[in-house]
Amino acid sequence: MGTLILDILEESEKKFSETAAVKWLKKKEIYEISYHEMMENVRAVRKGLSEEGFQGKHIALIGGSSVEWIESYLGIMTGKNVAVPLDAMLPIEDLTELINRSDSEGLFLSPKNQGLLEEILAECPNLKKIWLLQEETAEFSNERVSFLGKLKETGREKEGDDGRPDAGDIATIIFTSGTTGKSKGVMLTQENLASNVHAVDFTVEPGTTILSVLPIHHAFCLVMDWLKGFSLGATVCINDSLMHMVKNMGIFKPEIMLMVPLMVETIYKRLSAASPLIPKKLVAAKAFGGNLKIIFTGGAHLDPFYIDKFAGYGIDIFEGYGMSECSPVISSNTPQIHKAGSIGKPLSNAQVSFEDGEILVRGSSVMKGYYKMPEETEETLRGGWLHTGDKGYLDEDGFLFINGRIKNLIILSNGENISPEEIENKLALGKLVGEVVVTGENNGLTARIYPDQDVVAAKHMNEEKIRTELQAFLDKYNKSQPTYRQITGLVVRKNPFNKSTTKKIKRQEAMID
Amino acid sequence: MTQDMQFKTIIAQYCKVKPEEMTDDMRFREDLGFSSLDFMSFLGEVEDTFDVELEEEDVLHIFTIGEALGMLETLQH
Repeated sequence: MGTLILDILEESEKKFSETAAVKWLKKKEIYEISYHEMMENVRAVRKGLSEEGFQGKHIALIGGSSVEWIESYLGIMTGKNVAVPLDAMLPIEDLTELINRSDSEGLFLSPKNQGLLEEILAECPNLKKIWLLQEETAEFSNERVSFLGKLKETGREKEGDDGRPDAGDIATIIFTSGTTGKSKGVMLTQENLASNVHAVDFTVEPGTTILSVLPIHHAFCLVMDWLKGFSLGATVCINDSLMHMVKNMGIFKPEIMLMVPLMVETIYKRLSAASPLIPKKLVAAKAFGGNLKIIFTGGAHLDPFYIDKFAGYGIDIFEGYGMSECSPVISSNTPQIHKAGSIGKPLSNAQVSFEDGEILVRGSSVMKGYYKMPEETEETLRGGWLHTGDKGYLDEDGFLFINGRIKNLIILSNGENISPEEIENKLALGKLVGEVVVTGENNGLTARIYPDQDVVAAKHMNEEKIRTELQAFLDKYNKSQPTYRQITGLVVRKNPFNKSTTKKIKRQEAMID
Repeated sequence: MTQDMQFKTIIAQYCKVKPEEMTDDMRFREDLGFSSLDFMSFLGEVEDTFDVELEEEDVLHIFTIGEALGMLETLQH
């Protein structure tokens, strides 16, 4: 078993050469690429980067799931470079900050996000090259801008392949919400990723169809849909938009899908709305495309109610647990070994222990640290043990259960981890906002705001006027944010928040007014 | 059925509000209880029903029924 992602991919190329590796839709037509063709492209990107002087560099990617995105990602990290996938839905100022903070010198940018080009070029002076993720090339007035097609052409012409990475080399940096209000770059090595792929105890026949519906920059999707899928010779199909998830299930007819609980809940809402006179088998065939047998969930806790209900439609749901810092899977239920309500048994490469109820993890998938954040790294990795921030226990059969959180993060059922401080810092800029606390309620975010009394007095504002102005302010904020960071509830407080002796707001008392 | 009513009938599949009780200023998430995925899935149905194509980037800024109806009308003309 290889300790590099490159070993895993080369093995799959040998074994599944003509099998479709990826399928996707373009103008309603299905396209596909075989394992051999995909690896030819991955080699071309890798060699192209080397030819253009990118060796040991950080290279960012901005874009949704696409075959070009994944080939570029693999082209970066199977060589000596480090891939930095970013969330394309973030506001431009966050993206440029992350490009700069991650010391990225190259960027692959989806043509859909081409509108960001000018600002990125202006704000990120250390970026030497931006490649648009498209085959077609055109003349660009800026010599820092090029195309994936051109890069691959350069790579194909280059003789020889420069060096393989070492198992301990950083392969990727994945940004995750920080509790201090600043996102943290999780550094994962080749071995971290490869050992996670190997340790997830699950296998399928080559050519098994997986429909990938989660955001590709997330560790869960990237490692489990894509890298694990490729290791098994599966065909990974791209869902072009969440708007089309149900329709695409009908088109690609997946056998396996990775989901977050929100997806399971939404699908169930639609299933249960069907007339009870229609046989469940027919309802399931229409909703899931007819072949779906297994859903793996992660990112947030799933109510076991849904496991029972989906079993009635012939679909098994297996819940797992992980975090980017663990590459990402720590434990998972599998078709062979499972217990509803648990998050499965820890993987063979993960040792689990507890400190005051907090789950600690040690093993070959635990990150090297946070990029350029020694204090946060020291706080999270102590004596080789990763402090997860989750509370839990192992039952007598060795299944892991979660029963609380220590870190101040809001986990939404779409799997997004939200740092309330990060949003509060932005909302505090509102003139009318005196004090603000963001809480997670009804699977959305609520802003609890105590208006600035000086502004209220100066403008002679009544309750209605305060609420209208604050809502308008939140609407404006929401427009600049991805949906998972939007505020869906507003509570206008009559009193200031309770505070500690050091004048810090007591978060646990935020609901008391 | 008018287009307006057809549109609201689709919305009603995702919430407990009846089409005839819906008003243009109702907000999908706050007033109708849509999750972000309900909203995306609803837009997929709008595409199929009215034969239009939506871009994710354009729909992220839609909060009310009136705004969604307005977007549909713009796409149709």
